[in-house]
Amino acid sequence: MTVIDILTRVDSICKKYDKYDVDKQREANVSGDDAFARLYGAFETQIETALEKAELVTKEKNRASAVAMNAEIRRTKARLSEEVPKLQRLAVKRVKGLTTEELAARNDLVLALPARIEAIPDGTAGGPKATSAWAPSTASRPDIKFDSDGRFDDDYFQESHESSQFRQEYEMRKIKQEQGLDMISEGLDALKNMASDMNEELDRQVPLMDEIDSKVDRATSDLKNTNVRLKDTVNQLRSSRNFCIDIVLLCIVLGIAAYLYK
Amino acid sequence: MSSDPEKMMSKADKMTKLTLTRWSADWRGATELYEQAANGFRASSKYERAKVALEKASQGQVMQSSPWDAAKHMESAAALAQKLSIWDEVADFYRKASELYVECGRAQPASDALGKAARALEEVKPEDAIQLYTDACEILEEDGRDQMAFDLYRACASVYIKLEKFTDAATFFLRLGVAADKCDATNSQCKAYLSAIIVYLYGHDLKQAEKCYNDCSQIDAFLKSDQNRTASRLLTAYNEGDIEEIKKVACSSTVSNLDHAIIKLARKLPTGDVTAVQMNAGDDLDEDDLT
Repeated sequence: MTVIDILTRVDSICKKYDKYDVDKQREANVSGDDAFARLYGAFETQIETALEKAELVTKEKNRASAVAMNAEIRRTKARLSEEVPKLQRLAVKRVKGLTTEELAARNDLVLALPARIEAIPDGTAGGPKATSAWAPSTASRPDIKFDSDGRFDDDYFQESHESSQFRQEYEMRKIKQEQGLDMISEGLDALKNMASDMNEELDRQVPLMDEIDSKVDRATSDLKNTNVRLKDTVNQLRSSRNFCIDIVLLCIVLGIAAYLYK
Repeated sequence: MSSDPEKMMSKADKMTKLTLTRWSADWRGATELYEQAANGFRASSKYERAKVALEKASQGQVMQSSPWDAAKHMESAAALAQKLSIWDEVADFYRKASELYVECGRAQPASDALGKAARALEEVKPEDAIQLYTDACEILEEDGRDQMAFDLYRACASVYIKLEKFTDAATFFLRLGVAADKCDATNSQCKAYLSAIIVYLYGHDLKQAEKCYNDCSQIDAFLKSDQNRTASRLLTAYNEGDIEEIKKVACSSTVSNLDHAIIKLARKLPTGDVTAVQMNAGDDLDEDDLT
């Protein structure tokens, strides 16, 4: 363990047990037996913490936690406001070692306390008033303005020229859109019908194609057979001598015929 | 070869006739001559003679055991008969052709032949046409080619509509529905059912239409379809006596996708007195009736 560790540990332990240190307390609290001063001191610390919290709320981004903190601040404020009368009574009491001016000053301080307590921002300044109904709300937030200024007679809910025109235009466009959609739907119906008819026609033709396929296969094989046989036959003819003899004899007959007819 | 068809005909006739000198008819030669004669006659526009020549040619083919060619000749003969407007012969020839096709084992041409016959006779002899259509459909169904039968059913139903026999027309539409069901042709099926309902309504038969609608609602494919919605709208409009609504439904796109004849019927709806058709509420069961 290093020296620094020892030092920090000692510091934290001392801080923890500071409240048992009578001398220190007496020092901190100048007017130890003065109840007023004690209470006043407590008040001050509480107001300080509340103000700090209010500052934190303004910086807070999470609305839920902001709301919770505001609620706490309001609770603190309520408690403090309750204890103000107690403080006032203490303020009037005479304590030894206290001058009259100090007494008057204490009174003033106590009187100023409620105002200070109220001044702590808790996020509800003027809030509840805005949710009231259509009652004249001049006391509400200054940045919301109602054009009507509270006059809600018969004219107010009557259609203005612009709004009726707008409504008309809206109706016309809606009708046009419906017409367009009707035409599209008709076209789609026709397409659907044609497509399903085509589907059925193709289904009809599938077995026919299969038949054609098999028949053509048969025909091609027949042709192939025939071709082969023809080739064999022609080869046979060509290779034999009979072919040449046929031609020679033919020439002789033609010659004799020509001689006879001349 | 003599180019005179008459001479060819007589020659061919001689070839087929059995005489003392000829013990067996030469059908092959005769058939060839008959065919040529027929071509010759057709070229010179002697349709009557051409028809006779084709008949004989067909017979020759039968004798030669080639039913396909025979059937083809029969069809040509029938077409000529149609041109000459000899309706009985048209029907006969086409029937014979169809039988020959069936002999070949080819159901499609058989039914095609009967279909052609029926179409030819639609104007003149509608009952015969209907009979021919029915036979054609049966041939196709036996062969399992229901899809080809759709057009025939539709044509037959339109003939019935022309004859104003609405119940029969609706029956045919339902038969179309059955055939479509076998082939999973849901669109045609639903259209057929909607057409049947419209036909019933046109025939002033609301009860039948509703019964038909209830029957068809049992079928999933119809239940999920646009046609189902249109049918229910139409029937509720009828029940409420709302003429405007009926007209609106009749002009809707679903109805416009049906057959032309049906569209015409739908546009003419409502026929008769719609207000008299309203349901009486008193017939309904009492709410407290717990039986």
